[in-house]
Amino acid sequence: MSRIGVFVCHCGENISATVNCQKVAETASGYEGVVHSVDYKYMCSDPGQTLIKQAIKDKNLTGVVVAACSPRMHEPTFRKACNEGGLNPFMCEMANLREHCSWVHDKGDLTTEKAIDVVRTQVEKVKRNQPLTDIKVPVTKTALVIGGGIAGIQTSLDIANCGHKVILIEKDPSIGGHMSQLSETFPTLDCSQCILTPRMVEVAQHPNITLYTYAELESLDGFIGNFTAKIRKKAKSIDEKLCTGCGLCTTKCPTKKIPSEFNEGLGFRPAVYVPFPQAVPNIPVIDRINCTYYIKGKCKVCEKVCPTKAIVFDQEDEIIEVAVGAIVVATGFGIKQPDFFPEYGYGKYPDVITGMQFERLASASGPTFGEIKRPSDGQVPKKIVFIACAGSRDEAKGIPYCSKICCMYTAKHAMLYQHKVHGGESTVFYMDIRAAGKNYEEFVRRAIEEDTVKYVRGRVSRVYEKNGKLIVKGVDTLLGAMPVEIEADMVVLATAGVANPGAEELAQKLHISYDGYKFFAESHPKLKPIETNTGGIMVAGACQSIRDIPESVSMASGAAVKVACLFSQNELTREPLIAVVNRCAAPLYSTCVGCFLCQSACPYQAIEREEIKDRSGKLIKSIAKVNPGLCQGCGTCVAFCRSRSIDIQGYTHDQVYNEVMALLNEY
Amino acid sequence: MDELKKRAKELLETGAVKVVIGYEQGTGNKTRAAFIQKPEEVSRLIFDSRCVLNLAVYLNKPEVKQIGKPAIVAPIPVLRAIIQLASENQFTDDNLLILGITPESKFVEFNKLADVETYLDQHLIEIEARDKEILEKLDKMSVEERWNFWVEELSPCFKCYACRAACPMCYCHRCTVEMNQPQWISVPSHQLGNIEWHFMRAMHLAGRCVDCNACANACPIAIPLNLLTKKTLEEIKVSFGGYKPTLTGGHIMSTFKPNDKENFIR
Repeated sequence: MSRIGVFVCHCGENISATVNCQKVAETASGYEGVVHSVDYKYMCSDPGQTLIKQAIKDKNLTGVVVAACSPRMHEPTFRKACNEGGLNPFMCEMANLREHCSWVHDKGDLTTEKAIDVVRTQVEKVKRNQPLTDIKVPVTKTALVIGGGIAGIQTSLDIANCGHKVILIEKDPSIGGHMSQLSETFPTLDCSQCILTPRMVEVAQHPNITLYTYAELESLDGFIGNFTAKIRKKAKSIDEKLCTGCGLCTTKCPTKKIPSEFNEGLGFRPAVYVPFPQAVPNIPVIDRINCTYYIKGKCKVCEKVCPTKAIVFDQEDEIIEVAVGAIVVATGFGIKQPDFFPEYGYGKYPDVITGMQFERLASASGPTFGEIKRPSDGQVPKKIVFIACAGSRDEAKGIPYCSKICCMYTAKHAMLYQHKVHGGESTVFYMDIRAAGKNYEEFVRRAIEEDTVKYVRGRVSRVYEKNGKLIVKGVDTLLGAMPVEIEADMVVLATAGVANPGAEELAQKLHISYDGYKFFAESHPKLKPIETNTGGIMVAGACQSIRDIPESVSMASGAAVKVACLFSQNELTREPLIAVVNRCAAPLYSTCVGCFLCQSACPYQAIEREEIKDRSGKLIKSIAKVNPGLCQGCGTCVAFCRSRSIDIQGYTHDQVYNEVMALLNEY
Repeated sequence: MDELKKRAKELLETGAVKVVIGYEQGTGNKTRAAFIQKPEEVSRLIFDSRCVLNLAVYLNKPEVKQIGKPAIVAPIPVLRAIIQLASENQFTDDNLLILGITPESKFVEFNKLADVETYLDQHLIEIEARDKEILEKLDKMSVEERWNFWVEELSPCFKCYACRAACPMCYCHRCTVEMNQPQWISVPSHQLGNIEWHFMRAMHLAGRCVDCNACANACPIAIPLNLLTKKTLEEIKVSFGGYKPTLTGGHIMSTFKPNDKENFIR
C-alpha cells in the first residue's frame, strides 16, 4: 500500500501569488494513498528539506511528490533529501507548479485547479515508481579536440598540462587557424604570428598531445566518458616519418599558380605546399585536385627531388579509431563571402577586398611583405574606404546579428594603413562603434584622434568604378543624412563572420545542437556557455558565436577545466532512467519479436542483439537489448516498439498511462 | 502452374523442404491456404485471381515453423511481405524457398532474398486508381466530415481481429491490444475502442505495409481498412520518397538519412 507525502512549495511568492498553495495541499491530502500533505514557503531551503526528511521517517512514506518548480534545478536537491530521509531517491517526483502553472497563468481558481491536477498526475505516477540505483560508468581520460585554431590550441595545452592525454585534429595541413593569418592584433598591435607560433610549437612538442593535421572527424559513437571517434587522416601523399620539411619539393613543383588559401587568394602556392613558413607541422601536402600527376598521370618532379624519398603518390586516407572521454569542439568560424553584396562590387573590382585580405596585405609574411598595395596594379592606395557591417546587422541579408569583431579590426586596419602609408587618407563608414572591451574604446579613439582616421556614421549604398577610381556613395547621418561621395583607390569590406561551412554536418556527427545560423548551441546561455546539451562535449571559441582572440582563449581554458573536472573522477554516475527490454517466462522469454526497428531508431546506437539459447546452446530467440552505458533514456525506441516490449525506467507505460488518466480525472 | 507443381513435388521428394505453402480450392468459390507435406498431394495446388490471401502470414506461425523448412508460393504481394519480414529479422536465406509467380502467372524460382529484392524493383507499389480516387475524396473532406466517415465505417467492427490474423506484418507474439498493464487500447468494440484499434494498427504498419489488401479481404463485414494504410503509403511517398521493401536500406520510418526533409519540425 502506497504511503505518499505531498509537499507544496510557495517558492516565495513565485507560486503562491497565483496559486492557492494551501488549497492544493488540502485537496491532495484527500487522494487515495496520500498520508501527508503540507505547504511551505521554500521547500528547497534547509528547513523545507528537513520537513520532507522528517515526514519520511515519521509517516513511513513510500513516495514523495514535491510540488514546486521545474525539475531541472531542484530535482537533484529533493532526491538527495529523500535519500537522506531513508527513501530511494527515485521514489521522489516533482510536480512543476511554477513554470507550468503559476508563471504562465493569472491568479484565479482555474490556476489553482490546474495546480491540483498537476499534483494529482504525479501522485498517481509516484505510486508506481520503483526504487532504482545509479549506473556507474568508467571514464577514458583522453580528450579529443576538434580544430587547431587558437581556441583548440589553448584548450589542448591546458588539458595536456593537467596531465591528461589530448588528441588534436585539424582539417588543414597546419594548425594556427585564422589567427595565423592576422597581421597585428587589437588593441595592442602585437604581431599575431609572433604570439601564436610559440604556442603552436608547444602543441607539437607536448608529450601529452597527439596532433593529426589534414584530418577530420569521420564518425562518433558512444557517450560521455566513453566515446569512440573515427578520424579520417586525409592522404597528404607524403610520408610524415621520412619528410624532413626541407621544402625542396615545394620550390621545384612546376604547378605554381594556385591561389593560396592562406593569403586569401592574393598570392600563389604550388601544388605541393606548406601553407605558411611557420606551419606546424612543417610537412607539405600534395593538393591532388591541382597536382599535374593526379590530373595527367605524369610529372613526379617532387618525387625526383625529394632527398628522403618521402613522396607517396598512392597514399590512402587512413581511418584512426580512438577512445576518448571528452570532446572539445573548437572549429572556429567562416567568413561570409561578400559576393552576396553586388552593390559593393566585390569580385567585379579587384580593389574591393575583404578584411581578411587586408590582413594578408598588412602582414609581414603576406604577399606584399606588409606593404599596402592594390591587388589590381600594385600601386599604394592614396585613399582607402573601410565599410563596416558588410552583411552583419542586416536582416535583409539574413545576418541580423553583430559580428562583434569588425568594429575593432576595422579601426586596426585604418590605423595600420595610416602607419604604413604616410599622407594617406582613410575613411570608415560605420553604423555604431561597438568597442566594449578592455582598452578597446581607447584604441578606436586613438585611431580617430591620433591617426586621423575619418569616421563617417552612415551606410554605403553603392561602390562603382569611374576613371580608374572606386566611387563610394554613402551618407553621413550625423550631418543630416548628407550624401557623401569618395573617390577611393581601395575599398575594404568588414564582412560578416558566419558559421563554418561544415558546421551542420559536424554537429550531426556529434549529436550536438546548433542555432539557426549553424553556430553550435551552448547548454545554457548564461550558466553553461561552454557545455553542449550532449554530455562530455564542450564548445570553445568562435564555433559557438563570433569571438575575438582573448574571448576564444578564455573560453578554451574554460572548456579545458570542464574536461579536467570530468577526468578527475575514475567513474561517472549516471541516472538509471534508461530503456529496458522486458523479459518474461518461457516460452515467450520476452514480448520482443526481434524486428530491431528500434535499433535504427535509436540515436545513440544503444540497442544491441541478445540471443536467448536453451541449455544445449540452441538459439531460441533473438531480442533487443539496451546498453545501459549508451542509453540516454530519450524513449524513441519505446515509441517505436509495436509490441510495447521496451520501457523507460522511471517513465514506464504504467506510470505515464496513470499520469494521463489522472489528468483526465479518470480516478 | 504445371511447372510450379513439378518443382514443388521435386522439393518434397528430395526433402529439400518439408512443406509447400500454396493455395488450394476452398469451400464455395473461395480459395484457401494449403500446406502440402506429401509429394503426391501437390495436385491440390492452384493459382488464379481469387488467390488474394497473403501466404507470408503463415511463415511466422509456430505451428508452421515446427514442420520444418517451407517453400512458399509467392505472387508479388507475398514477395514484398517476405522482403519486409526478412528486413525485420524474421528469417534468412537458409530457412525459406520461394516459388515466385509473376503478374503474368509465370513461375519463377528465387534462390536468394536479394534476387527477390532486385526483382521487386520492377514492381513498385502503386496504389490503384480506384483507391486513389477515394483517398482524394477523403482528403478534400473537412476534419469533421472525415471523422464522421471513419466513425461510420468503423462502427460495425466487432473486433474479430481477422485483419490482424490475415496481415503478414502482424506477427507480434503479444499484440499491444492484449497488453493490459496498462490497457492503452480499449478492448470493447465501442466507437472509441474501434477507432483506437484501427488507427493504432495503421500506425504500426506505416512504412511496413506492403499493400496486399489481405486485411480488407479478410474483413467479414468489408470495412475498407486498407484505405488507412494506403494513406500512410501516400504520406511516406510525399515525405520520404516512397516505400519499397528493402533488405539493407533500413526501415523507412526509423532510419535517419541526412537528406530527409525535416519540414515537419518548426
